[in-house]
Amino acid sequence: MPETIGGAVPIGMWELVLATGFVLLTGALSVALGLKLERDLAIAAVRTYVQLLALGFVLRWVFVNQTWPIVLALLAIMIVAAAQTVLKRAGNAPRGVFGSSVVAMALTGITVTFAVTALIIRVPTWYEARYVLPIAGMVIGNSMTGIALTIERLFADLDSRGPEMLGLTALGASVWEAARPSVRTALKAGMMPTVNSMAAAGVVFIPGMMTGQVLAGADPVEAAKYQVVVMLMVAAATGIGAIAATLLMYRKRFTTDGTYLEPGLRDAGEG
Amino acid sequence: MTDGAARASVHREACDPAAAPPLLEARGISVARAGDEGPGAVLDGVDFALPAGVLVEVAGPSGAGKTTLLLALARLLPGVTGALLLDGCPAAEIPPSAWRTQVALLPQRAALVPGTLAENLRLPWTLKVRHGERPPADEVLFGALEDVGLGGLVLDRDVARLSVGQLARVALVRVMLTRPRVLLLDEPDASLDDASAAEVARVTSAFVEGGGSVVRVSHVRADARASMRYRLEAGKLSAAPAPVPPQRAAAMAAPEVPHA
Repeated sequence: MPETIGGAVPIGMWELVLATGFVLLTGALSVALGLKLERDLAIAAVRTYVQLLALGFVLRWVFVNQTWPIVLALLAIMIVAAAQTVLKRAGNAPRGVFGSSVVAMALTGITVTFAVTALIIRVPTWYEARYVLPIAGMVIGNSMTGIALTIERLFADLDSRGPEMLGLTALGASVWEAARPSVRTALKAGMMPTVNSMAAAGVVFIPGMMTGQVLAGADPVEAAKYQVVVMLMVAAATGIGAIAATLLMYRKRFTTDGTYLEPGLRDAGEG
Repeated sequence: MTDGAARASVHREACDPAAAPPLLEARGISVARAGDEGPGAVLDGVDFALPAGVLVEVAGPSGAGKTTLLLALARLLPGVTGALLLDGCPAAEIPPSAWRTQVALLPQRAALVPGTLAENLRLPWTLKVRHGERPPADEVLFGALEDVGLGGLVLDRDVARLSVGQLARVALVRVMLTRPRVLLLDEPDASLDDASAAEVARVTSAFVEGGGSVVRVSHVRADARASMRYRLEAGKLSAAPAPVPPQRAAAMAAPEVPHA
């Protein structure tokens, strides 16, 4: 049995080559059957190599040289990149909501990450990069998907309810009262994948982080406890982030007089 | 005193208007055309004064801006210039949602929310703007439905099972139950047969007799009870002659003597 590092079997050059070999085999099958998958597969495989090894080297360097400004700067980069991704995926969002997207991502990313590191894991120094960065990555990455889904659904649902909202507004409804059914629909849609994955975890699949820990030699029950913490905090982060993003953004599709900006009116009224 | 009257009197006292201003007044209302059709005005300086207790009919070709005019009067359209006054009180002094409870628009496309008939009819009383007002009792709802020929409907009927003509009348009943002072009706009988349209005309005239005012936009049927008629064309509102009674119309159909 090979020597282990902290319980994990180290992976050498040979093992990487072997794993690459399987991808090459898939590529060869694609060429033989004319599936035209080989190009995408090759690019994705190269990106996986480059991005993950680069991340490994960056994290190794940060773990050794950690100072709080470096850790916070990395967090800020993650938050801004996630906020951009949210708006790219929710292409129907009004203009001028980038700030709201950043605020929502930062609110959820920072509070949930530090709540977990300080209150649950109880790291000795609050900016301990070994804990803060991976957890922030999981919180921000997962909640980003839920927030993007929520925002996309919010503005699609508002558009589909134009006549209904005109009727409500004409009866004296406030912006919130007119928009509330769409807010509810959007948050439900945005939370559903997270809720579903919580319900299926451990029955249908073994979550990725727990798999990694078990492979790295951790006790399965200890790994399970970590996974429970991670899944709950991802759910909380998605919920908080989606609610914050929704509340910060829905008004942008309404005028100050409380009327909905239908597609034909948007250039004039949208700021 | 009803809550509606209380709201109205608050505005009256707050504004202290000069002797008997019109109920609703528009001065120089202009709306620029938004969208792909290029620059131009949908409404070009429309002046309009609506006394209390009258039924006004606005006619005009399709696309002339009749709906735009109603949206502007209900303060439901951005980018409107000009002045709107209710009881001589400038619009700026009345919050938009309170304005809309007094100057109530019934959009042409009746859009009810999913749920039962009773939930839809009482929906206005779930809104913050009517906080503290009592929603109408079942008997009131039944009576109002009967007035528009919907007496056969039960209150827990799912609105998804109503016809287009029934939906239009339910929406009319709902807005009339809120007792606004001005009712803006956008083609209220476009989806109705003649008998239902007659019922709608009857309840709107009862509303006017009760002291309310109605601005009604139509191009399907003219309302014989209208006391003022306007025509909206090329962004301008002009007084229109009363519709010609049938026997005179027949006489006018005789060939005219050509001009020399």
